[in-house]
Order: sequence, then C-alpha cells, then structure tokens
Amino acid sequence: MSNTKTFTRIFTIADYEEEENWLREQSKKGLHLQKMIQPFVYIFEVGEPEDVIYRLDYRNAKGDQDYTQMFADYGWECCGRCFGWIYFRKPASAVNCDEEGELFSDSESRLSMVQHVMMTRMLPVLAVFMCIMIPQWMNVMNRPDEIALEVIFSILMLLYVILILHCGRKLYSLRKKLKKF
Amino acid sequence: MEDRIKKIYCPMTETGFYILYCLQKPQHGYGIGQQVKEMTGNQVIISPGTMYGTLSKMEGDGLIRFDHEEEKRKLYCITPLGEEVLETEKKRIRRLYQNSQGEEYHE
Repeated sequence: MSNTKTFTRIFTIADYEEEENWLREQSKKGLHLQKMIQPFVYIFEVGEPEDVIYRLDYRNAKGDQDYTQMFADYGWECCGRCFGWIYFRKPASAVNCDEEGELFSDSESRLSMVQHVMMTRMLPVLAVFMCIMIPQWMNVMNRPDEIALEVIFSILMLLYVILILHCGRKLYSLRKKLKKF
Repeated sequence: MEDRIKKIYCPMTETGFYILYCLQKPQHGYGIGQQVKEMTGNQVIISPGTMYGTLSKMEGDGLIRFDHEEEKRKLYCITPLGEEVLETEKKRIRRLYQNSQGEEYHE
C-alpha cells in the first residue's frame, strides 16, 4: 500500500506562482501530488525526493481531451484540477532549456491568462460583493438588538475585503509586470 | 481583410507568424512546435500554453480551421483569410529585411 500525506492549504487565484514553487519544494522532499480535493485538500504520495517542476494554467472550459494531449506531447503530465486551475508537472531533468520548463513562451499569452482569471473570477466576486454583501451588511447593521450578528457579519466583510484587495493588487501587479516585457 | 483582423495580426508576433506559416499543411500543435524548433535551429520555441492559446484565437478569428482529428490531437490548416494575412506579413518582413540591409524597398 502506498504511503500518503495530506495537507490543507488555502490558495487564492492570485497566488499561482507561490503554488508552483510550494509544490516543487514538496517534491524535493519526496512528496508528490497525487490528488486534490476541492477546495483546499492536497494528497501527496510519499516517495523518493525528485526535483519536479509544477506549472498552472487557467481554463474554465470543458471537453479538453486535445488540450491535455497537447501538454502531454510536450512532456507535461496533468496532475490536478482546482477551480479552473489545471496543474501540470514535469521532472526538472527533462528540461533542457528555460522554455521547456514553462507553459508560456511569450508574455502576451501569459498576460492573456492573467486577464482571463481577472475577468472570470475577480469580476463576478466583485459583483457579488457590491450587489449582495454590502446591502446585506447594511441591513444587519440597522438592527440594534443583534450585536453578535453584527460582529460576525462585520468580520466576514473584513475578510472578504482583505481577500479582494489581496487578489486585486496582486493580479494587477502581475499584469503590470507582464506588460513591461 | 477586415480592419479588426488587420489590427490584431498585422504585424503579428513571431509565434503567430510561425504557426500560420506551418499550417499551410495540416498539422497539430505539438507538430508545429517541433517543425518551428527545427527550422529555426532551436531559436524559436513555442510552449504548449502559448501554442494552444494562439491556435484557439486564430481559429476564432477565422485564420485557420479545424481539419481533422488524429489520436485525440486536433489538426488545423490555414484558411483563405489566413493566407491573406500571411502574404501581408511576408511582404512586411521582406521590406524590413531589405531595409535592414541598407537597401530601398519597392513593391
């Protein structure tokens, strides 16, 4: 029976580079991603330490046999999916030049991935926040006798704002960085 | 050629040019990548995300079309619109090359 190890980890839409680095560090310790359970459970197979490069692509379309096949032809094994993110990996020993270790070879296509994430993930979240969360919060705050509810709701709102600011700021700076090339 | 197409593809990226050039014969993404690598002496390497994205975009804009499928791989080929774009680009590159050699360009 194979030995496994389970981690939980929160990964926001803007942290895909950190996610890639984290998975690579795990593989160097002999932990190889086996399965992901949405939203944040990672199951690793315990094995020999190996330097494995992980890369994430974002795609919210279905019916993609030809998509994974093309990546497989290029030596990328599809090893997980989570909220539109597709996880690929390739042993570092199979990489002969920088381009072979990347999913994107020009900044234009990398930028279009980041923009795609912003349009399909950030905008809906922002819309829900503006149209549902804020009116609800104002509604709750108008009830003078329910202090506990007010506090809980306010904390939730604060977390929401932090998350939106974090992702927005990061995606924005990623976009800025890529546009400079 | 519509202005919109002209605006996006003239001039086009190096990646775009090589993909369009290779699709004068039906080919799948990985095959194009290999052909480009060979013909440029390993100078131009197109990664899969870039390849897939460019093929989808060009198909959507009508420069290339789906030809047939072989073992889960989609093969594409150039359309008349794609040929027109390719010719325009070739002319531009010829002018660029001649000018870079200190020559004047005349159509």
